[in-house]
Amino acid sequence: MAELEFVGGYPTYMRESIKKVEQTRNRRIGKLVDQMTPKEREDILNLCHPDYAPGGKRELKIGPNKGDIVPNEVADLLEAYPLVNPDKIDLSVVDYDTDILIIGGGLAGTSAALLANDNGIPADRILLTNKLRHGDANSMMAQGGTQAADRPNDSPVLHYIDAMGGGHFTNKPDVLRALVEDAPGVIKWLEELGALFDKDENGNFVELTGGGTARRRMHACADYTGMEELRVIRDEFRNRKIPVLEFFPAIELLTDEENKVVGAILWNMETDEYKIVRAKATVLATGGFGRLHIRGFPTTNHYGATYDGPVMAYRTGARLRDADTVQYHPTGAAYPQQIIGLLLTEKLRTSGAQPVNKDGEEFVFPLEPRDVEAASFIRECYIRENGVKTPTGMKGIWLDTPLIDILNGPGATEKAFPAMVRMFQRFGIDMIKDPVLVFPTLHYQNGGIETDPEGSTNIKGLFVAGEISGGVHGKNRLMGNSTLDCMVFGRRAGVHSAEYVKKGVDVGQPGLKHVKKYVDELKSAKIETDRKSPLLLPDYRGKAALARGIDIF
Amino acid sequence: MKIPYFPGCTLKTTAKNFEISALEVSKVLDIELVELPKWNCCGTVTSLTDDDLMHHLAPIRDLIRVEEMNESGLVDNEYRVVALCTMCFNVLKRSNQRIKERPDEFKKLNDFMYLEKDYQGKTEVIHYMELLRDLDFSKVSEKVKNPLKGLKVSPYYGCLMLRPKEVGIDDPESPTIQADLLGAIGADVIDNPFKTRCCGSYQTVRDKYTVAELAYDIITRARKNGAEMITSSCPLCLFNLADRQKEVMELHPEFEPMPVLYFTQLMALAFGLDEKYFGFEDNFIDPRPLLREKGLLK
Amino acid sequence: MAEKKISLMDTVKQASKGVISGIDKKDVEHWVEIYFLGKAYQVPAGLTIMQALEYAGYRLIRSCGCRAGFCGACSTVFRRKGEYKLQTAMACQTRVEDGMYLVQIPFSPAEKPLYDIEKEKYEASVFLKYFPEVARCVSCNTCTKACPQDLQVMDYVQAALKGDYKQVAELSFECIQCGLCAIRCPAEIVQYHVAQFGRRMYGKYGIPREENTEKRVKEIKNGEFNKKFEEIMSLSEEELRSVYTEQQNTREVY
Repeated sequence: MAELEFVGGYPTYMRESIKKVEQTRNRRIGKLVDQMTPKEREDILNLCHPDYAPGGKRELKIGPNKGDIVPNEVADLLEAYPLVNPDKIDLSVVDYDTDILIIGGGLAGTSAALLANDNGIPADRILLTNKLRHGDANSMMAQGGTQAADRPNDSPVLHYIDAMGGGHFTNKPDVLRALVEDAPGVIKWLEELGALFDKDENGNFVELTGGGTARRRMHACADYTGMEELRVIRDEFRNRKIPVLEFFPAIELLTDEENKVVGAILWNMETDEYKIVRAKATVLATGGFGRLHIRGFPTTNHYGATYDGPVMAYRTGARLRDADTVQYHPTGAAYPQQIIGLLLTEKLRTSGAQPVNKDGEEFVFPLEPRDVEAASFIRECYIRENGVKTPTGMKGIWLDTPLIDILNGPGATEKAFPAMVRMFQRFGIDMIKDPVLVFPTLHYQNGGIETDPEGSTNIKGLFVAGEISGGVHGKNRLMGNSTLDCMVFGRRAGVHSAEYVKKGVDVGQPGLKHVKKYVDELKSAKIETDRKSPLLLPDYRGKAALARGIDIF
Repeated sequence: MKIPYFPGCTLKTTAKNFEISALEVSKVLDIELVELPKWNCCGTVTSLTDDDLMHHLAPIRDLIRVEEMNESGLVDNEYRVVALCTMCFNVLKRSNQRIKERPDEFKKLNDFMYLEKDYQGKTEVIHYMELLRDLDFSKVSEKVKNPLKGLKVSPYYGCLMLRPKEVGIDDPESPTIQADLLGAIGADVIDNPFKTRCCGSYQTVRDKYTVAELAYDIITRARKNGAEMITSSCPLCLFNLADRQKEVMELHPEFEPMPVLYFTQLMALAFGLDEKYFGFEDNFIDPRPLLREKGLLK
Repeated sequence: MAEKKISLMDTVKQASKGVISGIDKKDVEHWVEIYFLGKAYQVPAGLTIMQALEYAGYRLIRSCGCRAGFCGACSTVFRRKGEYKLQTAMACQTRVEDGMYLVQIPFSPAEKPLYDIEKEKYEASVFLKYFPEVARCVSCNTCTKACPQDLQVMDYVQAALKGDYKQVAELSFECIQCGLCAIRCPAEIVQYHVAQFGRRMYGKYGIPREENTEKRVKEIKNGEFNKKFEEIMSLSEEELRSVYTEQQNTREVY
């Protein structure tokens, strides 16, 4: 391969395609391709959405959801052996005795801690544990916004209908209702805590729409929405002196004789030492599974998104819901190599950026629901062969970002997307002058451990909140409903786990009977593998180094 | 006229009434105080250290700003910067002098601040009272609508306006500038032999009772000569003379409080400006009863 | 068609090979040498520092978070070949260069003062109450030079000294709390904690609230939407679908 010459961050051959985009730009302004009909949407999903394409999923052989279809990577973790040996581990010494153990400190876990504290649980009777640092979570990276129906021309009912439609009518109705009814209260709560939302001079929110939403109800903090929200509630958490552990993932839940969840085994990732936590209630808020790279897709998720929570919960008998669906965000960065898979928020399209193919032609309505949009990008690249190929072999289509300043005035892109402008600048690309290359990326776990409006599960003592839960979004989540989900159900899990504790919980002897039972099931189902789970961290070490590795310590 | 203006931290926080009154009074005198667009704390005491060059970064940066204001057209060929807070004035002026006397340190500082334009040495630091004196106090008198007749005011100078000699704006032993200014706005000026005695400065943080004793002496001596009010140009002096009167009364129960004001507050009153520019509600000892008694305030 | 679909997914998987698992030596064309903690490693050119360390065989536990420049976990300090100046960067957002000499700083031992913003007055003096060290700022600008987000850190510290909450919030908004400023500051100020406090105070006290939100919260509490919800939730999926389609047709222009 000849040496590549780069202009403005792009190799010259990609510049050719950019020229075509520039040529068609003027005629495309304000003119959008029509929205698809429901039948067209269904067709394209079946044609090339990774969730629908065969070969990626299989039936679960064991557990409460035996017989259900889940992605292979998920099944690999559920049908795997525990990290601890139930017969060899000493559970007699309890290191932490607490009322509420929260596993995972993103928006959901931190909200749960705050609300539990607000509702009568003293700070020192709550323990939040994190696999990495407190705040290392997908929440920190959320960009676009938080939905809440607070305008007069909008209502929670409209929000409900939008989310139902986007979820292909599979959402759990009472759970979804809880989401949309609590939403304005969550915004108010954040305002009182001092979060800085985009507002005009009069204090009114600047609200935009998102894919599949009929009204403008997205509350954003530039393109740092998740970061701002989490920073604020984490600061409040710290002010309350609630105990927190870092680099201490949970590697197994503990149950008692009644199969109530009564705590967890935590593992110090840096010293290999395990600790036993006995808790009256446990809230699982471990987030997503992007680092499983389902179907080989890159991901927007953070380093620790490895499906730990559902694996541990499933072993206790907690039911999964909609675990077969995976959300691929249509616009993940596809170039340059260093940022492949990273999130380019939907708000880009809401602000006017249009997806176009290598010839500068528009080919889809910019704001279809995410699964439809992603499928159409894949079709454009790999079936119609109209994508642009990068030097590393990734294919993508252009997102015409210069339209944002053209439609909204100079400086609009910098104001609304400072994080993204900076990210591209670091790699020599000016997204205000040039389009950026995008391709779908693995983004969100639509389903998960089934929840109810109170954040409880079918296992006593086990609560869930956030991306780990299933039922809120049905089979497909809308933009702006995830940060909302985390905070609504984080708060509810906090409130209800507190109530559960206050009623009086008889914590039996913490044990791993459920794990032994699970291992027996694995053996009966003839699952022979040396796979172990939870995964904890992905492995990106260079193959050469690994091939020469000796495991001495 | 438009002139660069350095407020200093205190005028934006605990001495807002100093700035509010000064800005409005300046308008009446056709002086537009153009605040430095970006400025940092002058550094106060630490910026006067002799053995730590790092502490001179802060004041020199502010002097660079003045040069930048000229380049960007915010002011027209005006390299003087005026300070109201006497401590800021003293620090900025001394740093400016010092760096011009030591060319190798001048270069070192400029090199260190490689993200800034080099300081050319053009800026000149003046105190607001100097500005008025250069304008001529008669011009001040012309704007007086409400002469402060009958108000017996004693000017207090403290240290930093007058010392060291290289920085001082008047005779360090027998200054008259503030007295002249008060006279120009119609007040009955009362001399105080302790007018240049140190108020105790930052000792107020560790040893407030020593400061209270100093304040007691200064105020009592002024009162002996008939003073009913004291004016100052330094927020720290004002704090020590006014806010510490609480401790003075602990030590001397018979002590009667005396209001201490910023000179610009009296100027605002004398110019007949709207009440909102006086800032009297922030003065520790409320001057309003006294002023009403004299018929100077409604 | 089925074969095409399977190979479609495999093709996609191949295209993202380098980012979903460890990189293979045979796929690399250009190399550079970097020094991590003083040890030399040959790594593929063009990778980020984080990807290069993983290529070299490090399984990252510390110094790795979002991998996207948002979380401040991968703070890195380095020198370029032949240069004396220390540079700072986030490892996930910075490409390796030949001769780069680097170390990572996964943690900043910075204390955070505890406060209850409900009980604080929106006044300038509150900054100095919780962060008295802000008055020690010598305006040396070291923090600004250290910031990987190119923020005007010294300016917002000075704004805090002046009690200007708005400026603190505006200048510090994009802070990812990586800790590099605090580590380098000669006055031991923890800039990002000052900024967090300033932002929360400004958000709570400095900006007016939208009345609609407050109103809507009350309406929901009073059950004003109960009837509509009961109606909607009693519809069949068919009926719900048509309501949805109609609603999508009334969507606000974005």
